Amino acid sequence: MRRIKRILPYIVMYGVAFLWMIPILWMADTAFKPDDEIFSSPPKWIPSHFTLDHVKEVITEWPFLKWLLQSVIVATTVTFGSLIVSTLAAYSFARLQWRGRDFLFIFFLIFMLLPFELNVIPLFFQMSKFGWLNTVPGVALPMIAMPIGVFLLRQFFINIPRELEDAARIDGCSSFGILWKVIVPISKPVFGAFGMFMFNMAWNEFFWSIICLQKSDLLTLPVGLRHLHGAFDINYGLFMAAAFMASLPSLFIFLILRRQIIRGFTLAGAGMKG
Amino acid sequence: MTTRTGSSAKKAPPGFRKKLSHFLYRHQGIEGVLYIIPFVVVWALFLAWPVIYGIYISLHEWQGLRGAKFVGFDNYIELFTDPRFWNAFANTLKFSAMVIPLIMFFGLLFALMLWGWGRTRKGVALIQASMFFPYLLTISIIALVWRWLLDGDYGLILWALRSLGLPTPTFLSDTFWVLPALAFVTAWWLAGYRMVVFQAGLEDIPQDLFEAAKIDGTGPWKQFLHIIVPLLKPSLLFSLVLTIIAGFRTFGQVLMMTEGGPGRSSEVLALYLYQVGFDYFQIGKAAASGVILLLLVLMMTLIGVRIIGLKSELQ
Repeated sequence: MRRIKRILPYIVMYGVAFLWMIPILWMADTAFKPDDEIFSSPPKWIPSHFTLDHVKEVITEWPFLKWLLQSVIVATTVTFGSLIVSTLAAYSFARLQWRGRDFLFIFFLIFMLLPFELNVIPLFFQMSKFGWLNTVPGVALPMIAMPIGVFLLRQFFINIPRELEDAARIDGCSSFGILWKVIVPISKPVFGAFGMFMFNMAWNEFFWSIICLQKSDLLTLPVGLRHLHGAFDINYGLFMAAAFMASLPSLFIFLILRRQIIRGFTLAGAGMKG
Repeated sequence: MTTRTGSSAKKAPPGFRKKLSHFLYRHQGIEGVLYIIPFVVVWALFLAWPVIYGIYISLHEWQGLRGAKFVGFDNYIELFTDPRFWNAFANTLKFSAMVIPLIMFFGLLFALMLWGWGRTRKGVALIQASMFFPYLLTISIIALVWRWLLDGDYGLILWALRSLGLPTPTFLSDTFWVLPALAFVTAWWLAGYRMVVFQAGLEDIPQDLFEAAKIDGTGPWKQFLHIIVPLLKPSLLFSLVLTIIAGFRTFGQVLMMTEGGPGRSSEVLALYLYQVGFDYFQIGKAAASGVILLLLVLMMTLIGVRIIGLKSELQ
């Protein structure tokens, strides 16, 4: 009886987790099923034979690998770009004294949560004037200066003991030297957390990307999937193969870095609430 | 460090570098501003300027190559007299009213479940991972997968409901069910992130509070109301603000799963903006709806910031 009482919560929890994962499992299942078994009723969980037809179709008929590469390029650009500009700004807001600093910080804070995608119309015209539609800078630049990053990093920098900085200053370090040699090395966890946050955001960005990117070879994965989806009516085998392949990078990284990712997102989320 | 100083000292006159660093230290104002320049430039060009430019566009009528003609508030008047705009507005509110409680509910439920029952970390990790994972996927994947699950003829969910003897509305083509279905899908996508934030909040609650409550014979429900809710309040409020904003900017799932249909029963504001702008090329009107949407989100943010409090952030 006691044993049942101890195990029961786990049964419930695993049950709920399994239910929550069914969409993912069903996606993977459909991706490798022959067409006639996809459209069978009752649904068949275990296909009579596995087929790679849909996967092949995604790779050969669609520039899927180019999309993947483009996604990697865009997300990496956004991540490093925002890490650099946000670190510099956060350092200034956290550690340097200057007039108007706190006022400006509050100003950014208010705009912190404003979603930039709501600017798609003016952004579209602005980028077309620059000739940056269908380019990496065009799609990436609006995502780089996120006040949320400055906020998060500042929060961390402020709690670094002043003594470390003073010691370096006595040694003749300039303020940039202090940032580079004192602050940056001990801020790795928060860089990791913020970097993951930005990478994920850029990797998944949809609204601005579908407007900025139109040329089939230059799409990121989310936009590519939209084009692929728009080309057919209910070709679910193909859709699920593409969706499954598009989720593989996230799945691999998540399996390897699960703990760091969850901790990072928690830190990013918890850090923002202050 | 020493080698670096040495190499740059060759280029600069002796003492110059020291003088410069001394000057910058005395005038931290200049230095402080220098550091924020890269961020401010990118921010101003690609986040702030588009807002201003958007307001400009919304006050003009765009006539192709002939350029823009100033029309005052005509676009706004046209917007406010467009029943389709008010339909999208109402749908956004309805959708938010459903998706916000759903996300908060699942997030909190899972967090409490894992926190209360998950004694050993190892067993819990897998459960936590499966609930968090959907958050890492892009909305296109979510939309494709759920369109398939909710397919009116061969969808797994309809089959499951049918075999349980329950009514089977074809969710995505049913004017009543389409918004609840989209809200549920969105909750499935986002609840995992709320869950980990709540979990962190729960971990921070001192354990002795619960022990004291147990000694006093306080039941779990009262513990929840009197210990967990008040102490989790910052996390809850923060998640609430984020979720409200997410509700207002909902776009991808609607575009890909229903395109606003059936009819216009799932057309939300962001989708309306997209269609007016890029399908009908009524640029001024689309920009005007962008401005309205931005104002709505700004208002929500300010209310949220007000509730959470800004003072604490500045220490």
